[in-house]
Amino acid sequence: MSEPASIKASFARSISPALAVLSLITAACLIGPWLSPHGHDEVHRDYLLIPPSLAAHPTKAETEAALASIGQALHLKIAGFEITHSATASPTLRATFSADAPIDSRILRGFTGSDIFGEPHIIGQNEDGRRVSVRAPLRSMHFLFGTDANGRDLLTRVLVAGRISLAVGLLASLVALVFGVTYGALAGYLGGLTGALMMRFVEIVYALPFIFLVIVLTMVLGRGLALILIAIASVEWLDMARIVRAQTLSLKHRDFVTASEALGAATPAILWRHILPNAFGPIAAYLTILVPRVILLESFVSFLGLGVQEPLTSWGVLIADGARTIQSAVHLLVFPSLFLAATLAALNALSQDLRAFAGRGPGDAQ
Amino acid sequence: MMSVILRRLMAAIPTLFVIAALSFFLMRLAPGGPFDTERPLDPAIAANLRRIYKLDLPLWQQFLLYMSSLLQGDFGPSLHWRDFSVNELFARALPVSLRLGGAALVIAFCLGVPIGYRAALAPRGFPARLAGLIILGALIVPPFVVAPLLQLLFGLDLHLLPIGGWEDGAFSHQILPVTVLCLPLLAAIANLTRASMRDALAEPHMRTLRAFGLPARVIETHALRAALLPVIAYLGLATANVLTGSMVVETIFGLPGMGRYFVDAALGRDYPIVMGTVIIVALMVIGFNLIADLLLAWLDPRIRRE
Repeated sequence: MSEPASIKASFARSISPALAVLSLITAACLIGPWLSPHGHDEVHRDYLLIPPSLAAHPTKAETEAALASIGQALHLKIAGFEITHSATASPTLRATFSADAPIDSRILRGFTGSDIFGEPHIIGQNEDGRRVSVRAPLRSMHFLFGTDANGRDLLTRVLVAGRISLAVGLLASLVALVFGVTYGALAGYLGGLTGALMMRFVEIVYALPFIFLVIVLTMVLGRGLALILIAIASVEWLDMARIVRAQTLSLKHRDFVTASEALGAATPAILWRHILPNAFGPIAAYLTILVPRVILLESFVSFLGLGVQEPLTSWGVLIADGARTIQSAVHLLVFPSLFLAATLAALNALSQDLRAFAGRGPGDAQ
Repeated sequence: MMSVILRRLMAAIPTLFVIAALSFFLMRLAPGGPFDTERPLDPAIAANLRRIYKLDLPLWQQFLLYMSSLLQGDFGPSLHWRDFSVNELFARALPVSLRLGGAALVIAFCLGVPIGYRAALAPRGFPARLAGLIILGALIVPPFVVAPLLQLLFGLDLHLLPIGGWEDGAFSHQILPVTVLCLPLLAAIANLTRASMRDALAEPHMRTLRAFGLPARVIETHALRAALLPVIAYLGLATANVLTGSMVVETIFGLPGMGRYFVDAALGRDYPIVMGTVIIVALMVIGFNLIADLLLAWLDPRIRRE
């Protein structure tokens, strides 16, 4: 029989791209924000809604505009300026200002607080003090994904948002897993009135679409990271409980369970040693559907403004922001959407492979 | 038949009661109140407001009051839309959601079933590729991404369609929302039809039909009947969800439907609107599940016998 081997081989082959994409995104989200020179909540006032580009900022036009605005703020005329590039140091601006009255050295304050210029120095002043030359290094920055309306680096924000989205996806699934499995296994194994009542409760909650429940729960719990986690987990365990219960029901009259009952094993021991290991397949299969679902649900709730709050962010929040500024800056919508779509696609591919591997075909809705 | 329906309707009463109680008390645990503003209200005014809306009574009394007016079909006054009762608001919002959701459902069903059907029959043909594309797309691109992209393309770039608003249901204002609502449904229906059609065609009785030499058309029709069962079971759940308004679509396109009122009410602690929406949705879920089950029993004799 070479079939198991070939299934395994094809499993490994098909699983690798999905896994590669997932680990790439996860690694980028975990490590990326540390490597990034920008903080996710760091505001660059001079770089609002910059489109994405590989080139370094400031560009020549941006430098000129910044210089012009400094001149205007200080009521100075710009007599001339040049930008020198050198291979060893950062590019430097030399500018000469002129005015009708003597110029004070306090004009240097016009340069501080800028995202474009570094520490400025006065390098020359003529005798009457009406012409001043200033040298200031240019701070070179990159905004690969551009910036948002507050001048925050989108790449850093997308990566930080990814941390939140992925963490919520995993943690909420984990909580749903532990609670749902325990609940379902108990309801199935105990059976009788207790089991019936336990499942009746699940069915009642089922009469409400999940999203309504999540929103009512976020009303109760308030908005924030931990709270959205609880809200999502507390609706997503229902499916798991049903699946595990069905599996338990089919297992509990099998000989090995009866045997360990006859040997006097306690209920938790039977559940843990005999029932759950045998229900592992469906549990794992459902878990792979659950994680993308939870990520989507979190994005959805955050999109409506009920989830993670600023300055922290998640993909849903970023997409909501992007949707609002879609006319002036499409990149704010495109990049977070791409990350979300890639993650969902990879998780989906992974889940289909796992289910095929576990011997049940893909193709159930949701 | 009648007794089954009656029994299901009786069972719905405790379900509805528990849902109403659960959401009522959960919601009232929430911090914040409907009359919170940036500048705190004068305590006397706040107390007056609370008295008028009977929010100063003990919670259980409020619940009993609410339930008794609910039994008379009265959802109570809205706390934010001061001159409107929740009934009046719903009378305007529900038709909007029903029209959009209904159109999306009909289109999704009429397109999804044939696409899934053709995809199962010819796994390499055009419908199969189309189905694969739609299913994957709906899975990885959520509606709240699709909607703004469509607004950008058809509204802002091509100037073909309005990007939002309702305008009393003008046709052009319905196209984009219905499309966005329709896509995930279409994907789910096509996916289900494709999978269950494949399963149905692999059944032994289909082989028997083939052995009898029946034309392919007849065999496929037989298979389709079996393949529709999971689709109908899915629609039982999905219909209520779609008809009561998609919060995302209504928020993005600025439509005055149920979902929009619900989100605003949840944020603004407008308790009667939240309660009313939850109860209407629960009613519709129960109702459409019942209809779906009856349809299933009509299609499948095995279910009828149980």
